[in-house]
Amino acid sequence: MESSNELSAGQRAKIRRLSAPRELAPDEEGGELNVVPFLDIITNILIFVLATVAVTFTSTIDSTPPASGGKGVRKDIESTALNLTIFIVNDGFSIKAAGGNVAPGCTGAGAGIAIPKKNGRYDYEALNDCASKLKAADPAFADETQFYITGNPGTDYQTIISVIDAVRTEKSNPSRTLFTDVNFKVTL
Amino acid sequence: MNPLDPSSVSEQRASPAKYKAELRKAVRRNAHESEANFLNITAMLDIMTIILVFLLKSLGESSAAVPQNDDLRLPKSVIRSQPSEEGVLVTVSKSQILVGDNKVLNLPGRESLTQTGVGAQEKRSGPNDLYIVKLGNALQAARKVDRRVREAKGLDPSSSEAMIVADGTTPYRLLIEVLFTLGQSEFGKYHLMVMQGKEIPQ
Repeated sequence: MESSNELSAGQRAKIRRLSAPRELAPDEEGGELNVVPFLDIITNILIFVLATVAVTFTSTIDSTPPASGGKGVRKDIESTALNLTIFIVNDGFSIKAAGGNVAPGCTGAGAGIAIPKKNGRYDYEALNDCASKLKAADPAFADETQFYITGNPGTDYQTIISVIDAVRTEKSNPSRTLFTDVNFKVTL
Repeated sequence: MNPLDPSSVSEQRASPAKYKAELRKAVRRNAHESEANFLNITAMLDIMTIILVFLLKSLGESSAAVPQNDDLRLPKSVIRSQPSEEGVLVTVSKSQILVGDNKVLNLPGRESLTQTGVGAQEKRSGPNDLYIVKLGNALQAARKVDRRVREAKGLDPSSSEAMIVADGTTPYRLLIEVLFTLGQSEFGKYHLMVMQGKEIPQ
């Protein structure tokens, strides 16, 4: 029998036929798990979760117990301090400071509502200007960050938060902080 | 007919050993090629599932999980600080007050809330008192647990902190009553939770 190192055409054909990957029978194909629907669901949930997280950013504003109760954690304020107190009343913001009641228009001391409502709405911009002006009135007030807030019994929580926002930083220069430490007063 | 038997091939040119070696090589080669035909996504599936579980868990534990509905809608603020995670959670919605997940009391209508707060029957000594008895009892129980937690964490146990989650329409009277009761229950610092907004709402 003649033999050689070279494969004959018949041998090559046979090797090709025998080494071809076996086609799966229809019943054997079911053995592979179809994960495409699972992937769809996972991807959708992932996008939904990421989108939900992105729109619900929250922050917290720190405070201490109201002035008429609670434990003594509030810092003592020196007599030379501004002692800014903002009263939220139905007609606007009444402001009291070291020199007494702040006059309408935030000009010196005098009776009346310091920042009256504008077009039936609280004027937060004027409140910011007034807080900035009061803080700049004396260099001794520069480091004072505490202020008091009080309101009518029916004042909304949202209005209180807006007042806290309005006196936090100077609008024309946001890097300059005004009054960041809020304390609540009880005048019920 | 045995396909591995070279004698079954009519025209033999290669030796049986060579034929078998070539056949084995071809089988191996084709087997590798067929494996590369589909993408193995098992590892990716593992990663995605872990990320999803992690996100859902962190979302459930974070402060961002505060439900926003008609009964409880947080006020908006321009503040951009990171929310504090420390403290006992006190929730004040339009209809009820909760400490943690436990309901403490139901609230009357807004008209009544602005006049006498939660009502004289819930107070220690009449309508002008600010101390809410049921809330105080719940807070004292929470304070006991929190004191032990703070001691274990190495924090100052002399006073606790509270996280206030209140609806934006909560009247000042009710807010002060809740804060006053917290103060009486040895809670010395509050974190008022707000929703971040772009400008001060009117």
